[in-house]
Order: sequence, then C-alpha cells, then structure tokens
Amino acid sequence: MSSDAPNASEHVFEHTEMLLNMGPQHPSTHGVLRVLLKLDGETVVDLDCDIGYLHRGVEKICEHDTYPMITPYFDRLDYVAAINGDLVYVEAVERLMGVEVPRKAQYLRVILAELQRITSHLLWLATHALDIGAATIFLYTFREREEILKIIENFIGARLTTHAFRIGGFEWDANPEFERDVRAFLDMFPGRIDEYETILSENRIWLARTVGIGVLSAENAIDIGLTGPVLRASGVKYDVRRAAPYSTYPEFDFEIPIGETGDTYDRYLVRMQEMRQSIRIVQQALDGLPEGDVMAARVPRVIKPPAGEVFHTNESPKGEIGVYLVSDGTNTPYRLRVRPPCFVNLQALKQLAIGHLMADVVALIGTVDIVLGEVDR
Amino acid sequence: MSERRSIGSILRRLFLVDLIKGLAVTLRYSARALVEPRDGANPLQSIYTAQYPKERPNIPERWRGAPKLNNDPRTGESLCTACNVCALVCPVDVIQVSHASREFRDGEKVKKKKVLTTFVFDTSRCMFCGLCQDNCPTLCLELTQEFELAVDSRAGLVWDREMLEKGINVVTYKK
Amino acid sequence: MNRAWGNFAQRRKGATVSSIVRPGLVSFAVSLFLCVFDAPLREVAAQTQTQAPPPPPSPVVPTWSPVELIESLGVSHGFAEYVVLPAIQFAVLLAAILTAVAYLVYLERKVAAFIQARLGPMRVGPVGLLQPLADGLKLLAKEDLVPQGADRLVFLFAPVIAITAALGLLVLVPFGAAWGTVTDINIGLLFLLAVASVGVFGIVLAGWASNSKYALMGAMRSSAQLVSYEVAVGMALIGPLLFARSLSMQEIVEAQRFTGLWFVVLQPLAFAIYFIGSLAETNRAPFDLPEAESELVAGFHVEYSGFRWAIFFMAEYTNIIITSAIAVTVFLGGWSFPGLETAVSWIAGTDPSTPLYSVVFTLATLGVFTVKVALLIYVVMWIRWTLPRYRYDQLMDLGWKWLIPVSLANILITALAFLLAMRPDQGGVFGLLEVTKNGLWIGWTGTAWFIAVNIATFTVAAWLLKKLNRTSWTTDIDALRRAEAQKRAGRLATATERGAR
Repeated sequence: MSSDAPNASEHVFEHTEMLLNMGPQHPSTHGVLRVLLKLDGETVVDLDCDIGYLHRGVEKICEHDTYPMITPYFDRLDYVAAINGDLVYVEAVERLMGVEVPRKAQYLRVILAELQRITSHLLWLATHALDIGAATIFLYTFREREEILKIIENFIGARLTTHAFRIGGFEWDANPEFERDVRAFLDMFPGRIDEYETILSENRIWLARTVGIGVLSAENAIDIGLTGPVLRASGVKYDVRRAAPYSTYPEFDFEIPIGETGDTYDRYLVRMQEMRQSIRIVQQALDGLPEGDVMAARVPRVIKPPAGEVFHTNESPKGEIGVYLVSDGTNTPYRLRVRPPCFVNLQALKQLAIGHLMADVVALIGTVDIVLGEVDR
Repeated sequence: MSERRSIGSILRRLFLVDLIKGLAVTLRYSARALVEPRDGANPLQSIYTAQYPKERPNIPERWRGAPKLNNDPRTGESLCTACNVCALVCPVDVIQVSHASREFRDGEKVKKKKVLTTFVFDTSRCMFCGLCQDNCPTLCLELTQEFELAVDSRAGLVWDREMLEKGINVVTYKK
Repeated sequence: MNRAWGNFAQRRKGATVSSIVRPGLVSFAVSLFLCVFDAPLREVAAQTQTQAPPPPPSPVVPTWSPVELIESLGVSHGFAEYVVLPAIQFAVLLAAILTAVAYLVYLERKVAAFIQARLGPMRVGPVGLLQPLADGLKLLAKEDLVPQGADRLVFLFAPVIAITAALGLLVLVPFGAAWGTVTDINIGLLFLLAVASVGVFGIVLAGWASNSKYALMGAMRSSAQLVSYEVAVGMALIGPLLFARSLSMQEIVEAQRFTGLWFVVLQPLAFAIYFIGSLAETNRAPFDLPEAESELVAGFHVEYSGFRWAIFFMAEYTNIIITSAIAVTVFLGGWSFPGLETAVSWIAGTDPSTPLYSVVFTLATLGVFTVKVALLIYVVMWIRWTLPRYRYDQLMDLGWKWLIPVSLANILITALAFLLAMRPDQGGVFGLLEVTKNGLWIGWTGTAWFIAVNIATFTVAAWLLKKLNRTSWTTDIDALRRAEAQKRAGRLATATERGAR
C-alpha cells in the first residue's frame, strides 16, 4: 500500500491468506486431530491434517502379546465401536486356527456387532449435529446409546471397551434378560429414529448446511480408497457384509442403503438408513437364535496358531476394518497390521473441504466420522 | 423440478413447517418433563437423568470392577496358589505375585508348597479386560461390582494384598 | 480477488433483466392507477362509506405518582421528579435486571434440560435455585487473565462497553404504566436501536484486542451480522410505527390500548421479520455464529475469563431482555392487556387519582409486561435448543435477500393500504380508520381490511422472494441437491486446475 508499490490498487486487493490452527484442542475435531487451515477470508484454500497425537504403537505392542491378550487392544482402536474391532480380530485368529465357532455364538456376535454399529452411528449423529449446532439431538441419541450400552454391560460386563469376545466364542453365555432387553430396545428405537429425522431431515437449516457440502463422486471415493458409509453415500454399493460375507451375515435379509450425490446430506441419510437395517438384522438374529454352546470345543488353553498368514476384513461402522496377521507358530504373532477405515477416510477431508467455508470443515470432519484411536493406532 | 412445486409445498416453506415440526418435538419433551412423575433412567420417560450419588446405578452381576482376592470361606486362607497365571496373562502387566515355599507335613512325608506372600495390583494402569479373572484356576482373583475407585493420590491406586482381600473403603455419597 | 469477482459476475449474469425491472414496473403501474383513479375512487368511497362510530373513551391511567410521596418528605418537586424518583427507579431496575439475568441463565439451563430429557441444575439449593449465585461467586473468584500480546487497555475496556450499552437502554423500556417506567422520551425507539448497536463495539474490540484468530473471526462475523440485521429490524419496525404514529415507547403502548388491537394482528409479517432479526442481533441460535462453539471455540470472548467473561454473558442476556421487550412493546401490546382496567377496579376502585389505584395498576402492568417478555424469551430459548446453526454466508443471504426485501414490500404495501383506508377528509379513500387526537381508531371493517392487506402482502412477498432467490427458492429437495452437487463439482474442478497451475 506504500506509494512506491508499482500498482497500488492491485496490491490492496491481493489475496491475503491466513493460517488457522484447528485442534488438537478444539471442540469439534473429535479428539486430538489437528487440522491446519489456510483461509482466504473464511474460505478454505488448503488444508492439512496432522495426526499422531494418540499414537500408541498398538501394532508393535501386539507383537509381544499372546493372542488372547491382543483382544483388549482392539477395543481401543475404534473405542466407540469396540465390539466390531474385537470381532475382526477374533475372526482372523479363528480363521488362522481353523476353529469352528458355534452357531449360537455367531448369532450373538452378530447381534452385539449390529447393536454396536447403532451406538457408533448414534454417536456420529450426536457429534455431527452438535457441530452443526443442533445441541438437543446429542442428548437424545446418547439416551438411546445408553440403553444399548446397558444391554452390552449386562451381557459382557463393560460398557465401552468391552473385550466382548474370546477366541472361539464367548466367555459367558448371554444373561437371561438379554433377549427381553434387546426386544424392548427394538420396540422403542424406530420411533426414536423418526424423532431425529423429524428434527433434522427436512429442516431447512440442516439442508442448507449439508446439501451440496463436500460432494464426492464415486470415482473419487474409490480412488482415495474410502469404505463404509462414506463410500456408499457416493453411490457405490460396497459392503463387506455382502461383498465378502463373514460370520452368519449371509443368513440375514437386509439392504445396503446407498446415496446419490455423495454430499454430506447423503452421508447422513445413508447412516440413518443403516441404523434401521441394523435393527432388521438384530430382529432376525434374535428370532432365529439357535440353542447350544457359546464356546468352541477345540480351543486350546495356550493359543498357538499354525505358521501362516491371514487377512480378514469386517464391515465396521466406519468402513472396512482389516487385520493382517502373520503367525510363526509361537504364541505371539510375528506381525500384526490393522487396516483402519478411519485413517483412510480421513484422507478424503482435504478434497472435501477445499473451496468450502471454515464452518463447513467442522461439518465435514463430522461427516467422515473418524475416531482418533483408530486413525493414530 | 416443477412437479413438486405445488401451492402446498410453497406454503409449507413460507410458514416454516419444517422448523415447526422439529420445534413441536422439543416442546412436547419440555411439556412432558414438567408434568410427568420422574423415574430415573427410564427411556420411555421424558427425563432420563439418574441423579448418580442420590440414585445408585444398577451394576450388573458381570461387571468388571475393582479386583478382589477371595479367601476360602471355610478356612479363611487365601485361595491363591501363587500360580502367576494372572500376571502372565495381563496385557498391561499390572499384577505382581511373589511367593515363598513352605514345608508342611502330609502324614509321613514332608512336602513343599508355594504360598502367596505379596500380591500387588496396580489399578491405575488396569484396563479391566477381565483376562486375569477368566484365567484364575481357583476363582481367587475376581473383579467385583465395586466401581468407585477414585482416591486422592496416585499411590493409593496401587493395591496390596491386604487391600485386595478387604476391599477399599468406598466413600458413598448419599446427598 | 479474481475468484470473488468471478462469482459475483456469474451471479449477476444469472439474474435476468426482467427480474429486476418487473417489480419496478408493477409498483409504477400501481401508483399510476392510484393517480388516475384517485378522484373517482374517492367519490365511490364517499357514497358507500358508512358513518364510523365515535371512538371509545380513553382508558384510565392513574394520575397519582410516588413523586407526591417524596415531596411530602420535604423534597422540592423538581428534585423529586427528576432526580430522586428516577434514581430509585433505576436502582430497583438494575437490581431486578441483574437478578433476572442471573436467573435467565438458570432458566435457560432448565429449559434446555427439559427439552433434552435432562434435569438441569439440581445440586445447589432446592432444585438448583442457588446455582446462579454459586456461578457468580466462582466467576468473581477467578483470575483476571490478559493474554500476552493483547491490547491491554482495549481488552480490559471492551466488556464495559458491551454492558454499558445494554444496561443504559433499560431506562427507556416501558416495563409498566405511569411510574413503572423510568423515563419516556419522544424518540424512544430510535434511541433504543441506536444505542443497542453501540454494543457491537464491545464485541468487535474484544475480538480485536484479544490478538487471537478465533476471536478476530468471531468479531468480524458479529459486526457483519449486526450491520445487516439492523437494517431488516429497523425496517420491520416502520410498519407498526405507521399505526402507532409515535416513536415514544409509552405512546406506542397507548396506541395499541386505544386501538384495542395488538400490532402483531395488523403486522404479522413485520413481527416475524423483527423476531428473526432480533435473534440474529442478540447472537442467538440459529444465528449464534460469532460465538459458534463448534467452529470458533467461543468466538469473540475466547480469551476472556472470570468476571470479564461474565460481563459479556450478562450483556448478552440483557440484550435478549431488551429486544424481547421491544417486541412486546411494539407488537404485543406492551404492558396492556384486555380487561386489565376492570380487574384493577375490582381491587382498587375506579378513582384513578388514589395512591392505591396507582400502585395496583402499575404493579399489574409490570406483571403483564414481565409475563409477556418471559414468554417471548422462552420461545427464544426453545428455538436455540432445537435448531441447527446457519453458516455465515447463508446468514447474510437470509438477511439481505429475504428479510430486507420482504420488509421493504411490507412497508410499501402497508403504507398504501393505510393511505387508502383513511377517511376522505383526512386524505384517504375508504374511511375504514380514523386518526383521532388520542390515537388511531380502527373498526372491525378496518381490521378486516388490514388482514386482507396482510394476505396480499404475503403473496407479494412470496412472489418477490421467488424472483430474488431463484437458486435457493426450491421446495424440491432432490432437485436442489442435484444442482448443488453439480455446482460443487464445477468448483472443485476449478480449484484443482488452480492447484495444478
């Protein structure tokens, strides 16, 4: 702006970009994510995620622990969907050992996993709505989540980091009230989803904040390697429960909801639909719950899988969670590697956010649904 | 785009029907909250809060809470055989078991037996996975329904054998 | 620069000439019609006009004032009326408002709790009634932190500006009849609006002096928001002022009492605009962008702690009280209520000059006003805990492209309708209302006329909004989503291109 500037007017209207540090202590980065934003006014010009604040070296720790001791660590990857994390690990070990899990245990696992999927989606909805400013949804969803946690707590003995499964089945059979409690929940829950949708789905402010925000085409989503609801919202019908079925999922009748445009609103709709589908699965599993044992008979006290390797994937609430396990025949794995859906999905954030306003970044972090325990491992 | 632009939808938009529907939900809640009698943590009621210290939570039987070392109810001796399985199976190494061997007479013979001397359980690092309890061969180590483990100092979180057998004195707030 | 200008140019290209010219043409045609057919219309009206019934007598307002009581203590009349009484009134008012603010926080927490299936504060005192006291003590005891690098003087002074602007306004709010109000000046409403906008200086300076990016962004949002919504709010108030024919707060109330109609009946659209605008002006959800917790952490007061933070909080709640009070005064009949005089006469007789009547009447009006304001504040809280938050640009859109055009249309049509409805000898046509010395008299025909006019205004406003907001005006969500997705894809392609370069 000084007089010796060659073209004063050009100088005045030059882009001035501001670097804004969002997190790791920020109310809506969902944990310890640090996002560096380059802003032009409030428009995001560039964005960089800085992760690792919650890195614990789980994969390395696992190399020193025996197979049963690793399960609790999988609770702590995606700590809001601990049961889904447990499931993929115990199934991987069972595949490696060739253990046949009793059908009752398989059904119970499906019920718990789907209930946990509902809790995870409820928590996502709670925080996503809170980020966009609808504070009340938060408390409503937490009430329903609490009901599921009570069911899990009565069955397993813990609420959040459950350590639900053992290699080969369950430690305990379901508690006597389990079926009654789950049925009571299933009766109540659909009405509650309707309530959330009454408040949000047609709300013009919600629409203004989500429609057309962070549009991701199917090609783009596949290129980045996204999985889970984020991918399905872009219109790709890929769900591990159907694409590479595990446990007893082929026996259940459910649909895979997909989106159309791949914007934030689609991701919202897909997750709301998934909760309804989870209810259907739980209902069918309860109706067809077989009798019998919940622990496989052939599981030795000291677990030493034969030398070999296995890559097993599951559909966790966030996406496709995979475990790559190499055994050298001893009682500890030679190598364990986790394919975390959150880490991969987070990579989409940059593409989603550029060109939007800073307020949208908050909504977009919510919509990819990350849990930092899994991103950082 | 045009087929849904009826008079009705335009009126709905102008009269904020979408917002009013949401507002009706919340108004219903607040109205019910004023008139309904309260019954803590019932999902069908308008108020879900259970006022914790006043209303005690219902702890499930299988709850994995504070650790405890059980004694044989007949003899009063510890059930622990100092086999060290719990310490081995713990993913975070919170348990330290030490033992002494003691001689005793079984009829004619003099036998040696492992006897528990100290047992240290560091609850500050425990993640309550329950593996120790699952693997205890004598049902000695047990995770109880006690959940109020807060203490004033970090040292208070390391429990010795005496604490594990008696349990800690939990201050129960009534108000 | 290029992008901003490009967007603007694109948008200009999108709007066709006719969408700008047509409203102008229509209003021109209307005025032409009025000019040409003015005289014949008047004749027709004069023939069909029914004789308006005489206006009802003015309702009774007490004449006794506590000034007499103070005078009887040996104080001169002038001193009693202009110094002692206002001082007492203001002291009582200040104490009442500060308590009210503290309990508004409590109320807000309770309202939020009941909406959210919770109980809210329950631990301090019976049902948590002493919670505000405990909070206040806690905040007083906290350290007064000034961040390093902050502009110390401005930082410390900003909350004072905010609270002064808020509390200073209280003298003009007509809490009750007669001596229920501290003072009444003839530019009351204008003064209120003017001083209320000084409060934003506190916010802007706080944000700037904090030397924090989040605070600065909060301050910028706040100033932009206030400037744009001030316009809409101001113009929304013009409609009812046509009927009140005065800017004095007491006279606005008297006008509604005399007419027997609350202006919300005559001006529902203006009330809606005022209400939405006042939500935005007081930074309440869904317009709480300056302090949007999930985006800006706490916005302009992110660096404040302890009692200075509490002062901002108090200013915010005082502003809510004041904007609600203005809404009640201008649209909801202020302290008046149908049948109030009768109810008072049961207790205190009918003689307006007795002290008893004066006290009972004033207290009754104070009560009515408080209840009305409380109800309005409840609605504000209720909205806050239900609706999500708008984005910054959408807020500006709503202000400039929806509220301001509608308020302009409202003024235009109301003024025209008012002119048409006046008696021919007073310069009107139909003679549905009469301007008397005491105020405006509107019979049932007049009321019906204005309700019809409102429906017309509503239609015109809808048409206008549709013309102005071609992109955001759609009731078909799916179509909107496809359009938005396309737009986004295009924008992303441009951004990627720019990045590649």
